[in-house]
Amino acid sequence: MPSITLNQVRKSYGDIKAADGLELEVLDGEYLCILGPTGSGKTTLLRLVCGLTLPDSGAVLLDGKDITRWEPEDRGAVMLSQTYSLFPHMTVAENVLFGPDLRGMPDADQKHLLADMLDIVRLSSRADALPKELSGGMMQRTALARALASGTEILLLDEPLRALDARLRINLRHELRSLAKTLGLTTVHVTHDQEEALVMADRIAVLRYGRIVQVGTPGEIFDNPNSPFVANFVGQSNFFTGKVEAKAGNTTVRLSDGRAVHARACQFPIGQEVVVGIKVGNTDISKEEAGPLKGRIERILFEGKFLFIDVQVPGVGLISSKVPSWRMGKLAVGDDVNVHWAWEKATVFPLPANGLAEELRVD
Amino acid sequence: MSYTVTDWDLIQKYVFDDPATVQLIQDAIVASFEIAAIVVVIDIITGLPMAWILVRKQFRGKQFLDTLIDMPLAVPTAALGFSAAIFWAVSKPSAEAPWFAVGEISSPFILVLLLHVIFSYPYMVRSLAAILEQIDQTYETAGQTLGASKLTAARTITLPLFRAGLVTGIILAMARSLSETGGTMIALATMANSQGFQTGPSLIGTLKSGLALNPDLAAPLAFISILLIALSLVLLVALKLVVMKVRLPAGRVWPKWEKILSRGIAPKLKDGFSGAFLIIIVLIPSFFIFAYVFTATASQGDWQTFWESLANSFIIAGVVTLVDIFLGIPLALYIARNKKGRLPQFLDVMVNIPLIVPTAALGYSLGIFWGGAPFISAIPFLLVIFAHIAFTYPLVVRNVEGAVEEVDAAYEDTARTLGARRLQTFRKVLFPMIKASVLAGAIMAFTRSLGETGATIAVAGTSVNTAPVYIVELINGEQFYMAALTCIVLIVVSFAFMLALRLVTRKRRAG
Repeated sequence: MPSITLNQVRKSYGDIKAADGLELEVLDGEYLCILGPTGSGKTTLLRLVCGLTLPDSGAVLLDGKDITRWEPEDRGAVMLSQTYSLFPHMTVAENVLFGPDLRGMPDADQKHLLADMLDIVRLSSRADALPKELSGGMMQRTALARALASGTEILLLDEPLRALDARLRINLRHELRSLAKTLGLTTVHVTHDQEEALVMADRIAVLRYGRIVQVGTPGEIFDNPNSPFVANFVGQSNFFTGKVEAKAGNTTVRLSDGRAVHARACQFPIGQEVVVGIKVGNTDISKEEAGPLKGRIERILFEGKFLFIDVQVPGVGLISSKVPSWRMGKLAVGDDVNVHWAWEKATVFPLPANGLAEELRVD
Repeated sequence: MSYTVTDWDLIQKYVFDDPATVQLIQDAIVASFEIAAIVVVIDIITGLPMAWILVRKQFRGKQFLDTLIDMPLAVPTAALGFSAAIFWAVSKPSAEAPWFAVGEISSPFILVLLLHVIFSYPYMVRSLAAILEQIDQTYETAGQTLGASKLTAARTITLPLFRAGLVTGIILAMARSLSETGGTMIALATMANSQGFQTGPSLIGTLKSGLALNPDLAAPLAFISILLIALSLVLLVALKLVVMKVRLPAGRVWPKWEKILSRGIAPKLKDGFSGAFLIIIVLIPSFFIFAYVFTATASQGDWQTFWESLANSFIIAGVVTLVDIFLGIPLALYIARNKKGRLPQFLDVMVNIPLIVPTAALGYSLGIFWGGAPFISAIPFLLVIFAHIAFTYPLVVRNVEGAVEEVDAAYEDTARTLGARRLQTFRKVLFPMIKASVLAGAIMAFTRSLGETGATIAVAGTSVNTAPVYIVELINGEQFYMAALTCIVLIVVSFAFMLALRLVTRKRRAG
């Protein structure tokens, strides 16, 4: 049964380090999402796994076996590109049977396999259609059937839902995951959409500048980010810089303008410069309840279920908050409000070496 | 090339010490470049509106117009030369030009100019149309919604995006004109009085024909070949630099005038002019030869040699095409799939050089190069094949390369991860997708080889009798009727291939 291991894998294109010491283990049967901004090396990671790109150094292991120099066709790891790459000159059936045909599977077996596969992806009636006659969703399912028919146990998905309509994309999330789980496939799914990763993954690996920043379950990544970058990239966060002042169950951080805010316990010594991060969804504003910061509402964006509110806090800057829409009538631009949060939801990070703004960049 | 190094003394003796030869070579080369330059200007002026019509307009019979543009490509230049000369020029009485031919042109310079416009025009229109098709029309629409008239929008927005197409068009048209041998020689021979006029390639052809009798001609031959090759390369580089650097005067607008020109009769006049040019200057002279055969007195000729020459042409073209395909596809794949590497970029440029160098000069150079090899030099037939490969190979490589570049590499990648070996991936995935372009390249190479005169004569004199060489000989011997028949056979065959090409490419678009 396949597990995938990357050991200190490096790959550079000129000055660009697309893989800068990748260290990752994908467990057998796991659905792992690689989440990262554009240009973080997500696609390179997939290509390294399936052998379309050879690393400059480091090793790729399959079930503990070193396959770093194997040809792609010998690895049994199928890649699904963003556009599915259904061969345009072949029908759905021919596409699906591409792999089995290569292996010289007898015709009768091929027929059975085709029927099974088309059944799984609900395309039995479209066996003779050409790819261009299919809808986006059907193309995706055909590509999936083709991958499964090849007998693979590893599925490498490169932004598989990107080319689909927003609505369909959300429906297919569940379908794709359950199919992979039912068949016991080891899946690596690359995406830049944090919501998609949170919903679909067993575990998420956050990638940046060709390095893996954090690996964990969606809950861990969301609630216990290990850096301001992860905190901000996976669910937007507000940040405050200050110095650790007191530690007693929770942490008190004194901001530069003299106000104090509270956050979870941390191991940093008193006096160290730190960053406090709170998810915008955990940042509340109200007129009645007291809070450590006061500000004036500058902008309210209606997002359907939520209101996204920017509050100008003198001495700190813009703070964002996401509150349920039913509070719509009670808040208005120009209102003075208090900003507050439960300290259990606030995380303390060391001040990044090259500054907070640099740390939060996503391009 | 090696000849210059070893025998510079001979060149000194027979070329520079002989003012008459120097004058002859100088005149020929100057004439070649003058003609090429004027031809290109005419092609641009008349080709641009035509390309516009082909790409942007929708009308009935567009397919037909599309085919018409390519027709001159189907006619081998040797046949074209005869056809156009009979139509335009004051021809020899023995040629028996029909009474309804124009028969007015007595300047060989203008005749050659008209001839070169005919076969370079389709290249220009095709290059411009190809790039126009890629330019997103929404830019122009955006310009128009911002208040620009149609002409202003086209001129200031689309034209500046045109450079790449313009460079290709200019280079192709110019190379074609600089390189043309057979048609030019034939047209000049058909004229009543060609006043000893020569272009560079026709001079090579003439000198080479006389080489057997007078070995002293070897020196001027080598000299003019080298000169032509060097000058064409310099010109090519200069063109690339100049056209890409020069700013088109797109900044200024004259809203009032351009608005007037965008409406009413002006655009109709422009379209009408383009159409008239196509018919009168390009098409009628191309096919005038068919009318000629009916009016001229039939005469008996040497059918044996005729069939032999045809057979030779087909064997050569066939072998050449096969070699081109088998050696061209791997190179095209390598270049297309490694576009960023330095070596592939270098190869990409190198492959195109034979397209630009005049074929007669190329042929002569190759003849000397292979002349040193004991086995090959003994068989002129083989030499001709090598020479033809040199200038047809780029056609296959370019076609295949272009097609491969358009195929997303993700198809091949996916196939590999699905378990296909490299060769299987090519055979089952890539090849079916580029099949039409391979065929298109093959047909282009085939027709090009079939119609080539200059390289054949330059490499082997008249010892290898291909159909175009045979036509040249017939015309020199004033057997005009027989020449016309040979031309027609060549035209019909080439035309059949051309139709096949169109069918293939259309299928590709539909499929």
